[in-house]
Amino acid sequence: MSVSPDSATAVRAAADAAGESGRETLLSVRGLRVSVADGSEVVHGVDLDIPRGSAVGLVGESGSGKTLTCRAVLGLLPVGVEVTGGEISLRGTELTALPAAKRARLRGTDLAAVFQDPASYLNPSITVGAQLAEVLRVKIGLARRAARYRAVELLHAMGLRRPTHVYSQYPFELSGGMLQRVLIAMSITAEPELLIADEATTALDVTVQAEVLELLTELRRDRGLTLMIVSHDLAVISQMCDTVHVFRDGSIVEAGPTRRVLRVPRHPYTRELIENHERFGIDRVRKQRSQQ
Amino acid sequence: MKTITGALRTRAGVIAATVLAVVLLLAVIGPLLAPYDPLKNSTEILQPPSAAHWFGTDYLGRDVLSRVLAGAPRSVFTAFEAVGIGLVIGVAPGITSVYLGRVYEWITLRVMDGLIALPFLIFAIAVAALLGNAVHQAMIAVGILLAPSFYRITRAAALNHANAQYVTASQLFGASMWWVLRTHVWSKILPTLVVATANATAGGLLIVSSLTFLGIGVVPPEPTWGGIVASDLSYLTQVPYGPVFPSLFIMATVGALNLLADAIRDTSGDYGRARILRRGASRVRLT
Amino acid sequence: MTTLNVRDAAGRVAGPTAAADSASTGPVLTAIARTVVALGRALLIAVPVLLVSTFITFMLGGLTEQDPASLVLGDSATPADVARMREVFGLDKPLLLRYLLWLWSALHGDLGSSWFSKIPVAQSIAERLPVSLSVAVGALLIAVVLGCVFGILAAVRQGGWLDRTVTVVTSVLATVPGFIAAIALITVFSLLVPVLPSGGWVPPSAGLWKWASFLLLPSVSLSLDAAADVARQLRTGMADTLHENYIVGAQVRGLPGWRIVLVHALRNGAGPAVAVLGMHVPRLIGGAVIVETVFALPGIGDLTKTAALGGDVPVVQGALLVTIGVVLISSALVNVLLVKLRPAARREI
Repeated sequence: MSVSPDSATAVRAAADAAGESGRETLLSVRGLRVSVADGSEVVHGVDLDIPRGSAVGLVGESGSGKTLTCRAVLGLLPVGVEVTGGEISLRGTELTALPAAKRARLRGTDLAAVFQDPASYLNPSITVGAQLAEVLRVKIGLARRAARYRAVELLHAMGLRRPTHVYSQYPFELSGGMLQRVLIAMSITAEPELLIADEATTALDVTVQAEVLELLTELRRDRGLTLMIVSHDLAVISQMCDTVHVFRDGSIVEAGPTRRVLRVPRHPYTRELIENHERFGIDRVRKQRSQQ
Repeated sequence: MKTITGALRTRAGVIAATVLAVVLLLAVIGPLLAPYDPLKNSTEILQPPSAAHWFGTDYLGRDVLSRVLAGAPRSVFTAFEAVGIGLVIGVAPGITSVYLGRVYEWITLRVMDGLIALPFLIFAIAVAALLGNAVHQAMIAVGILLAPSFYRITRAAALNHANAQYVTASQLFGASMWWVLRTHVWSKILPTLVVATANATAGGLLIVSSLTFLGIGVVPPEPTWGGIVASDLSYLTQVPYGPVFPSLFIMATVGALNLLADAIRDTSGDYGRARILRRGASRVRLT
Repeated sequence: MTTLNVRDAAGRVAGPTAAADSASTGPVLTAIARTVVALGRALLIAVPVLLVSTFITFMLGGLTEQDPASLVLGDSATPADVARMREVFGLDKPLLLRYLLWLWSALHGDLGSSWFSKIPVAQSIAERLPVSLSVAVGALLIAVVLGCVFGILAAVRQGGWLDRTVTVVTSVLATVPGFIAAIALITVFSLLVPVLPSGGWVPPSAGLWKWASFLLLPSVSLSLDAAADVARQLRTGMADTLHENYIVGAQVRGLPGWRIVLVHALRNGAGPAVAVLGMHVPRLIGGAVIVETVFALPGIGDLTKTAALGGDVPVVQGALLVTIGVVLISSALVNVLLVKLRPAARREI
């Protein structure tokens, strides 16, 4: 139990988990290194394998490199941050070598993402419907009217009441949960295979969070969408993910099937995370209650 | 004061201040430095620059350098006059509009809006010409037209600070309105006002040069920077470089004023904060 | 379609079909309504502005010591003649009454007649307004095109050589008076490389190409100041906008780069540039005096200058009124444009 496996064995564990389920690998990250312009490395050789149709969790405190890993996969690292080593391949296609325009074409149609604070990821001056219709026109090539019609359908499918009304609202007129649904609608319009949800439910109310997570689960079930879920919240990870990767200081310290990692954590940091969660989490209160 | 000394510690501020000091010096003693009589004609017309005539001579054989130097006071101080008038008309209503009630506020706002709608040069020309072709009348017109920008700036700054907590606190302690205005609001408005004044002076110089170029507000033989450009205009084919020297003086002065304004704005923290506040209002929350 | 109706199992809202139909008209209507409201508000603000500015303009005529009666009649006129002449001009009435009468007839298109030539002011203005307007509109177009191209390029290439060049050029242009820009352009394009006329005017009926060639230099020299300001404001506005999260959002959706810059960043970053452009409109119209003098154009600025120097008060008042009208109309349009650009600005004060 006291063994703290290095990242190589951790990855092997993850790969085994994938192998057991017998699904082909959709996204494969090998030895990913990310550095800031001043030369300091912030992600030190991360390995990830995401089987098609699975839900993979990335957990760790803020600044541990999980978001930068996602951004590197998307090809949208902030200005001054660069991939300095490793490979990212999607269905066998090496992404890091692709020119920017080609990567832009992959986004939306092959991989997509939603983030924390949905309001800031929508253009404040354009109605949410028009922004959704824009994606439909650009990525699928629908005509103006058809895009509008389909956008309303999608909003409805995302569980938004009064979709026509929502269509003509500006981002500042909608709540966080509604906006996150709109953003999810936008990200899945072009039927990508992989959806990255980077702290997508963090800022939402607990009930809204549950609804959005349920929506993601449904999308995974009904469309075969592969999920990469980034969260610092172990509850979200345990509810959603088949496998989990624990990030710390730019490296993966432990990886494996979620159930195994949460029940029998091997790395001290993972144990610490779980303990913190138990100590401060709602489960502890409930446990105490039931004991009394 | 502190904001100006702060700006002087930057490189741009030093350059701007040096240029302005030279220009001001020229405006005061320039006419004394002139090597020739700026009004005296000679047979050496349209000479290129030489050791005897650094800037050459114009179509009447007058020394251009002497004319530029002699024209300095009129070209520079008239702009100051206009800005001074603009400050007087703009600043006081700008500050008081925040404090003296809604009717007063409404009236001042409408009057300033009305002034903004007046097209600058045409109005200045109309005033100067109709009120007897004299420079002071023209400057009154320019001053009136500069007033709205001062009004808006001081009003915005006063609005920003009127609801600030320290002002509310002072009022709670029974401080009089004028005391609050003098000690708190005025000191906060000052950097903004200095920046606006520098920019307005640059604008004023451009307008004065344009007016004198058109022959408004000056009687012909009297040299001004704008007027010197105009007088050589018909001889552009012979001396295409003719307008260069007086133009350089105008541009250097205007450029130095703009540079100084930028330096003060960049070093004055309060002004910067006000800008960020304004931006913040239109901005979506960032993660 | 198979992927749709994920939530239908949960028994939420009925089919989206009916709702989708009304979506095609709903947003359009609200957009029109917003525009109408914005335009109405802008015009409402313009009324007191018009009153104040015309009053100032009119008082100017009242304050002048020029007495048209003696000006027109000359030194040999008897006091009785002068009194009769004053009555003809309506100068015996009190100033305020004269203002109201003038405003009333101005609203009916009657701006009076020149004291000297007796030509109706409205007629002289109508003859010259097209010249000034074509130069001003030309300058506006050039300013928008130059400002947008360089402002956007500088913002996209932040910190690059183009960005630094644009910054330097715009700062230098801000120091150049209009007449110097005009003279420099004449020197280069009419004297050194004689490709364009150095001045004068032909109506469009003389051939569009010829008309444009006479229009080009005046328009460019008038536009430089505004173009520099627009480029600078657009660069600042867009540079800020390009760092916003919704740009990342648009990138994540896989939108092409040009679309992100021209649709998403430009729309939010253009506000200050549009406002500055609005502030330049009076200058484009007022600054026409300079351009019209240098290029010998028979425009409204030239008319005003000549009339003002000759003391022809009705012409000056009429010309000012018309310029103010043009300024107010264009600033109302700018306000509408701003509201359309940034609907979120409705929340701001």
